Amino acid sequence: MAAKPVRKGIHVDHSELLCKKGCGYYGNPAWHGYCSKCWREEYSKARHRQIKEDRELAERLQKEEEAAYASSSSSSTTTTSRPIAFSKFEEKKTQEKARKVNTVKKFFTTSKTPSKRSMLLCCPNNFTMVRQHSVESSQAAGEFQEFLKLLRKPAAQDILKRCRACIEGIAVFILLPMFSFQPFNNFAFAGSLPEQVEKTMDNVEKYIMTRLYKHVFCPESTEDEKKDLAIQKRIRALHWVTPQMLGVPINESSPQVIDMVEKAITDIIEMDSKRVPQDKLACITRCSKHIFNALRVSQNEPASADDFLPTLIHVVIRANPPRLQSNLQYITRFCHPNRLMTGEAGYYFTNLCCAVAFIEKLDAQSLSLTEEEFDRYMSGNASPRRPTQEPSSLVDELSACPVLAPLHTNLLDLQELEKQQCQLESNAADLDRALVAWDGSVAQEVANVARKLPPKVQASISSFPLLLAEVAASPSGPLDSEVEDSITLPPPLLPQPAGS
Amino acid sequence: MTNRGGPTRPNGQSAGSKMCQFKLVLLGESAVGKSSLVLRFVKGQFHEFQESTIGAAFLTQTVCLDDTTVKFEIWDTAGQERYHSLAPMYYRGAQAAIVVYDITNQDSFTRAKNWVKELQRQANPNIVIALAGNKTDLASQRVVEYEEAQAYAEDNGLLFMETSAKTAMNVNDVFLAIAKKLPKNEQLNAPNRSDRLTVDQPNTGSKPTCCN
Repeated sequence: MAAKPVRKGIHVDHSELLCKKGCGYYGNPAWHGYCSKCWREEYSKARHRQIKEDRELAERLQKEEEAAYASSSSSSTTTTSRPIAFSKFEEKKTQEKARKVNTVKKFFTTSKTPSKRSMLLCCPNNFTMVRQHSVESSQAAGEFQEFLKLLRKPAAQDILKRCRACIEGIAVFILLPMFSFQPFNNFAFAGSLPEQVEKTMDNVEKYIMTRLYKHVFCPESTEDEKKDLAIQKRIRALHWVTPQMLGVPINESSPQVIDMVEKAITDIIEMDSKRVPQDKLACITRCSKHIFNALRVSQNEPASADDFLPTLIHVVIRANPPRLQSNLQYITRFCHPNRLMTGEAGYYFTNLCCAVAFIEKLDAQSLSLTEEEFDRYMSGNASPRRPTQEPSSLVDELSACPVLAPLHTNLLDLQELEKQQCQLESNAADLDRALVAWDGSVAQEVANVARKLPPKVQASISSFPLLLAEVAASPSGPLDSEVEDSITLPPPLLPQPAGS
Repeated sequence: MTNRGGPTRPNGQSAGSKMCQFKLVLLGESAVGKSSLVLRFVKGQFHEFQESTIGAAFLTQTVCLDDTTVKFEIWDTAGQERYHSLAPMYYRGAQAAIVVYDITNQDSFTRAKNWVKELQRQANPNIVIALAGNKTDLASQRVVEYEEAQAYAEDNGLLFMETSAKTAMNVNDVFLAIAKKLPKNEQLNAPNRSDRLTVDQPNTGSKPTCCN
């Protein structure tokens, strides 16, 4: 109301109509009071500023993220020394996992039957990952194609088509419950022999699992990795368990048995390096065979499960195989269930699962120890191999640890050597003394003889030692005199350039 | 470890029209003679050590029954008390079980009864269970009476025999009795078994009615 008396009626000052920038042209409220030209300038300036700010913000965010990632990855490498950082890292990882799984779930719920193309478009990462073949993948593909050549043509084409579709279609983060061979029975394999079907399935398994290994082994959507770490830690904590506690009937002093046990350990560790479930099972079977051989050497009757299982547990504890739980889970998930429930390999696999289950649940009672003993061994305050009380004799201690035996013999040898050295030194000292005495006695004798001779001869004899001393002291030998002669020789010829 | 044609194999292998494969688990305390029993059945041997025998933990043996060839896949289990809790992993998917006890050891009979109870509660509902009282050659030291075990087996619907791995008494008979009792109208070995490709499911399949 205060402004109204000043402006009477509709009155707009001329200056208000002009461009705010004062370029002389009229402005327009649509352009915030600027003329069109000035507005365009102002607007583009503001827009550039905005873009610049956005860019800076983005860069800052990226830097922060990188820093966070670097700290998390560094904490992962120092898991043991920094438990707090590790737990944060784990937390972060689980969050990430959950997010990924959710994405995959979302992706699967939105389109019930995604076509191959749409899947690949949605997950460009998957596509590139599947496309980047490793050496093993290409090798498996080659082998598989070789195998298919042996089959009837339509069947072979059908299988190859299905497998390719399977590999490209399977999302990385889900398991493979749809992994079914049922359709094979329906048309392609009508009338084939069961052995042929089995063989085909083996090859299909080999091909698909080699190609998919990286994505389905220890997948992020599962807790496998955590379990791996847990069992590894557990086995490390149980290093003190002796074969006697488990009731292992092998004779550990025999080099043959030691060799077999070492082979069994190598085989069980090798399992992690294989990709195909069948190959992993083959490693377990080889390990078991070595154990049976070790048992056969140790006792004079065929080994039963009563002997085998404890020995397998002993081998697992000694080997502490890498990624044990992941491997077991992988085999359980992707191996043909018939193979795991029946057959020799299935039997050994079951035993390995039992061994792992036993190790996880192992307590004082299962090793026939008292609770206090078990706790003391677990805490590392005592060791059954090195009892806290003094060993009754050295032999006892030696038998407790086979590594000490060669050390002990070496020590004994060294002691013997030292004694001989002392002997040698004292002998040398004796010889020295004898020489000095002999020297004295010779001088004495010479003096005695000289005293009996006439004075003239005495004088020449007395000068004899002096002569000897002079000869010994004179530095110039016959060679040196020759050198002196050479000084008078003409200077050596200097090399001249040829042809001058 | 497959053995074909041992000297005391129950029946000659004929070109049977049907081939069935069964998983059989051996349960019982350690030292009751589980593995001796199997070795006697599979190899016809007792304590004579053959080089070819690597272990007695996993063995297979084929018997012929009328027109059917029955292949037993025998899984031995660790009998020590400390491994008792692991047994379900072994008998998962098994179609038959032999629970062995020692007639000269009362404790082994008590534990055998525990095994039977556990199998009936947790194993495949159609599992064929046989109770075997081993070591009848040591009859003078007998502690577990025949009648007592017989009555227990009848009450629980078990096959029952007293055996001796040493003299081979009733060893083949136990396995034959089991083979007879097992359902054979499903070709367990046939390729269509691979239909059931699901993770963590017992390999029981669609069980037909028991032929007994």
